[in-house]
Amino acid sequence: MTSAWRDGIRRVNGAPALLLGVWALTLLVSVPMAAAMRGMLAQHLGASLAADTAASGVNYDWMQEFSDQAAGLGVTFRPTILGFGAVLDNLSAFIDNTMRPVVIVAAATVYIVLWIFVAGGIIDRYARDRPTRTVGFFASSGVFFFRFLRLAAVQWIVYALLFGWLHPLVFDRLYPEMVREVPVERTAFAIRAALYLVFGLLVAACTSVFDYAKVRAVVEDRRSMLSATAQAIGFIRRNLREAAALFLANFALFAAVVALYAFAAPGAGQTGASMWLGFAIGQIYVIARLWVKLVFWASETALFQSRLAHAGYVNRPEPLWPESPEAEAIS
Amino acid sequence: MHAVSETLGGWYTMPRMRRALLLTAAAVLSGAAIVSGQPGRSGAPAPLSPRNASYTITARLDPATRTITGAETITWRNITTVAAAELQFHLYWNAWKDNRSTFMRERALAPSDGDRRRTADDWARIDVTAIKVGGDDRTAAKRFITPDDDNADDQTVMAVPLAQPIAPGMTATIEVEWRAHVPRPFARTGAIGDFFFIVQWFPKLGVLQDEGWNCHQFHASTEFFSDFGVYDVSLTVPGKWPLGATGVEIKRFENTDGTTTYRYYQEDVHDFAWTTSPNYLERTARFEHPRLPPVEMRLLLQPEHAAQAERHFDATRTTLRYYGEWFGAYPYGHITIIDPAYQSGAGGMEYPTLFTAGTRWIAPRGVTTPEGVTVHEAGHQFWYGMVANNEFEDAWMDEGLNTYSTARAIAQVYDPNVLALRYFGGFVPWVFRDVVLSRETEGNRLPGYRRDAESDTPSTPSFRYFPATGGSITYDKTALWLNTLERWLGWPVMQRIMSTHFERWKFRHPKPNDFFDVATEVAGRDLGPFFDQVYRSSNVFDYGVQDLKSERDGGQYRTTLAVRRYGEAIFPVDVAVTFSNGEHVTEHWDGTDRWKLYTYDRPFPALSAQVDPDRVLLLDVTYTNNSKTLEPKGGSAATKWSLKWMVWLQDCLLSWAALV
Repeated sequence: MTSAWRDGIRRVNGAPALLLGVWALTLLVSVPMAAAMRGMLAQHLGASLAADTAASGVNYDWMQEFSDQAAGLGVTFRPTILGFGAVLDNLSAFIDNTMRPVVIVAAATVYIVLWIFVAGGIIDRYARDRPTRTVGFFASSGVFFFRFLRLAAVQWIVYALLFGWLHPLVFDRLYPEMVREVPVERTAFAIRAALYLVFGLLVAACTSVFDYAKVRAVVEDRRSMLSATAQAIGFIRRNLREAAALFLANFALFAAVVALYAFAAPGAGQTGASMWLGFAIGQIYVIARLWVKLVFWASETALFQSRLAHAGYVNRPEPLWPESPEAEAIS
Repeated sequence: MHAVSETLGGWYTMPRMRRALLLTAAAVLSGAAIVSGQPGRSGAPAPLSPRNASYTITARLDPATRTITGAETITWRNITTVAAAELQFHLYWNAWKDNRSTFMRERALAPSDGDRRRTADDWARIDVTAIKVGGDDRTAAKRFITPDDDNADDQTVMAVPLAQPIAPGMTATIEVEWRAHVPRPFARTGAIGDFFFIVQWFPKLGVLQDEGWNCHQFHASTEFFSDFGVYDVSLTVPGKWPLGATGVEIKRFENTDGTTTYRYYQEDVHDFAWTTSPNYLERTARFEHPRLPPVEMRLLLQPEHAAQAERHFDATRTTLRYYGEWFGAYPYGHITIIDPAYQSGAGGMEYPTLFTAGTRWIAPRGVTTPEGVTVHEAGHQFWYGMVANNEFEDAWMDEGLNTYSTARAIAQVYDPNVLALRYFGGFVPWVFRDVVLSRETEGNRLPGYRRDAESDTPSTPSFRYFPATGGSITYDKTALWLNTLERWLGWPVMQRIMSTHFERWKFRHPKPNDFFDVATEVAGRDLGPFFDQVYRSSNVFDYGVQDLKSERDGGQYRTTLAVRRYGEAIFPVDVAVTFSNGEHVTEHWDGTDRWKLYTYDRPFPALSAQVDPDRVLLLDVTYTNNSKTLEPKGGSAATKWSLKWMVWLQDCLLSWAALV
């Protein structure tokens, strides 16, 4: 497991363009949204003197006034966006299955579709462990996009069951029953934390299965995503300790990044240079999160390949654009 | 102790009525002597209150069945000018008998799914099993009435016609026996696990006024009203369960059946609350002040909050000190602070000489939990406990005055007071050190008022407020207009208004005009128009700068400023203009017209203009439009905040991308 983990980190670090690429992807979705938010804020502030205190620190009164009259995107403009509060807010919303405004859900959907598109290219690059160039990357992305879309349909069903059925069952029905006569807050929290752990493990197990399904699809050039999913379950079952340990190691990376950001996250700050410094710290955190996500895929690829007869094996020939059967297969 | 128990063995075989009468006699004989720190009967000070409704109660709690069996003797004196042909009693717990009561019907208007999962045992009831007036058994004559609506299913008010009317000045002895079932908590009342918080729990007389009985049904958004008296209450609970109650413990008996009986006594109060749980930790401290009487503080707190004891005492001291210095002294000499159990729903409530605070397992420093609620509920000893308005009809008179006072006291001690938000099911707090909460806006709850500003007119009887938004008018709007008044008249005048109102109306039942009269008298000016705007209207205040221009005209700059009244409500405001040479011009606008134009010719252009620059009018719901500058920073501020929001969004996207 350790070697796969190290190998995964090495493969990610060996392909910085991929990291920059997924960061660009993140910016692609977030910048237009931020521009829209900026427009709303600027319009509300107008030429008001309230902008002076909003620029030099926090004008909480104005923030509340803004969010009280806001709709859509604007309702998400709350103090929780500040510093590490943003991370807690999102993690909490994720594990508590808190519904976000439609416009945020739409943005997340676009972002996920973009990830599905590039997933094939990313895993292909890590599986080959050598540069595939832009052409090779997008050719692989194209080859696997529709396969991964089919896999996404399976994922959607599984996650819909997890978040749409199991989560309400556990946290809206089971948890209230469990703590119904509990007069001690820390006991109630311990129960909730245990349920978070159980639910989190289920989510982790599912994401692992789908990760290995993608890895097997790319490495073995599988076309059936149901078969890839079944084979991924088989792989995890056969290598349970290694796969679990690898997941934990990667999760520890995630936790370390989040913990570091807890200390480094900028506060409200001012406009000017400190504003851009704060933004830069935020982007370093985002890039670190993306790096962790890529390490998940790269290390899982490395673990799978390490169990094959020869490491670095990829069944499908490297596609050459535009004249190769693989490239033509895209159309 | 054993001898005491033997005596009590006989005591508990005695008929309830006789026990109650004996207790009454004992209380009368021992009188003030049994009150801690009070002189004997001959040297007893004059009563602080009319003491026209005194209760001697014996009650036993059976935690297994969550049942209370009680008997009370009420000594009631008719202090009105009209004879009482009947008696009216509150039976509050019948509000939670089923979902057909007025309380539950109104509660359904404020969305909550908490009642869906209630089992039959989670509901409450209170059944009067016997009632005698002057020895005359009136049990068969009792009936339920609904003075506020035509809900025949509501059983929260019981009327008992009398064989002989009770004339003005006459005293009646009323004996009542009842049995009640303790609910899973409703409105701060009930039990969870082995935590019991027992309030509004005994058949309680309404208030007879010259206009007749004031005895409203129990409503979802209102509280209580009753006369002052002396309470002598003996409570039997499981052995060694600590008990906290209104007043002071004067005796304790360990009974042969393993139970413990506590006897509590208190004069000059209008209610009696108590709580028991085997898990309480007890702490004590003392409040001392060079010009105020000392107060013994007793805290019953949850073990998981043991480290927060001093924070509770400190907040209580803050109240006793500042309310004492500003309004008047707390006279009782003791106060009991209850830290309620998690999920009990009992937090943040006031009762005479006892109140519930409310904190969390993780309570970061710099955030006013538990201080905020502690200061507020301790403050109710003044606004509600002593100045005892009718909370059914004029809830703003205690809640609003107290919210204003709380914010003022908090600002004296807990500054800066910063924002904390809670995550992961509300368990994990995160403190936002950059977000400082101000007394004027957050302390007086401007955001809550802004959302519901037009929901009700404050002069509407409180029990007729829309249940989901009533609090915004009762608490928020009142605190905001009181603080506006302070900023308008100045604190010295405002302090005299509040202290005069306190001094004049303590241990009495003031009505809204009583407060307005005091304010007008002390301020020395007609405040009627102001109260018309803030109390007798639901109109909204919103002043703003509509336009500001500064254009070169020859060798001069012509500055044109248009200010506007966007809201319907009227208040006089200042209008300030700042010029680029540093010159400030302040105009006074009576605020009546819809708009007003100011023109200035200066060798310098204007920089900015502001309506109400000192923010006197805290009720202005949109302060952002109160100013305009010709050197706006809206763009740079928007850039800063949108960049911060973008990082939040990216993190949000990454969270969901984890599923890809």
